[in-house]
Amino acid sequence: MDIKLRHVGTVAIITIAGRFDAYTAPSVQQWLEQATAAPGARVLVDLTDTTFVDSTGLATLVAALKRCQQGQGEFALCGLRRPIMMIFELTRLDKAFNIFVDTDHALAVLNA
Amino acid sequence: MSQQRSEMIRLDLPAQYAYLHLLSETIAALLRQAGANDELLVYNVQLAAHEVCTNIIQHAYRHRSHSDNRISIALTFHHQPPRIEIELHDTGESFTPELASHPHLSEAQIHGYGLFLIRHLMDHVGYIAHPDGNCWRLVKRLT
Repeated sequence: MDIKLRHVGTVAIITIAGRFDAYTAPSVQQWLEQATAAPGARVLVDLTDTTFVDSTGLATLVAALKRCQQGQGEFALCGLRRPIMMIFELTRLDKAFNIFVDTDHALAVLNA
Repeated sequence: MSQQRSEMIRLDLPAQYAYLHLLSETIAALLRQAGANDELLVYNVQLAAHEVCTNIIQHAYRHRSHSDNRISIALTFHHQPPRIEIELHDTGESFTPELASHPHLSEAQIHGYGLFLIRHLMDHVGYIAHPDGNCWRLVKRLT
């Protein structure tokens, strides 16, 4: 698993490559806590190269979403592969998150 | 007419998150070998089995040091009717699946999705607590 952070405009983009599961979630959590710490933070998690997300990965994203919302920030996801998107739909988390096809579409909204 | 034999793979993994990718890779290999290449099917079986293992690590072995905790897994592909069966054994504490909390899907939650996913992704989910350990049995039909 590989995590990268970059900024485009006011948006922090965290890219997760590989498996996002109970083994790797603590590392992702650290990055997300840092990115969502400031009030009004705008955070985009790019899952384009994420091959697997388990319930711990989901929980890590939900915790970050709630933290961001408490700080009046914005938190979004993009690039979900079909099996991962199906899991979001099954758990109805697709209703809780702003989900975009890719970073370009997400940034067009988040940086507007 | 010859009948195709079932294919079985056994894994004996340390009960640690670091090794669970081996289970995912084995499931993909077994299903691919059997001609089942549907991306969603493979992913859903991988996720359900993975969630059982995380449940075992988090609950069955929660009070024991992890060096000697193991998860024994038998993966069998049956051709008639086509299905994959996965049995997972641990020697930790038993639990009562019926008492596990269900997620309220109307709002995003931090806990409770593991068992929900296992139940919804597989066609059959069984759990039996024995005196010497616990056994999960997962079945997914391919038709």
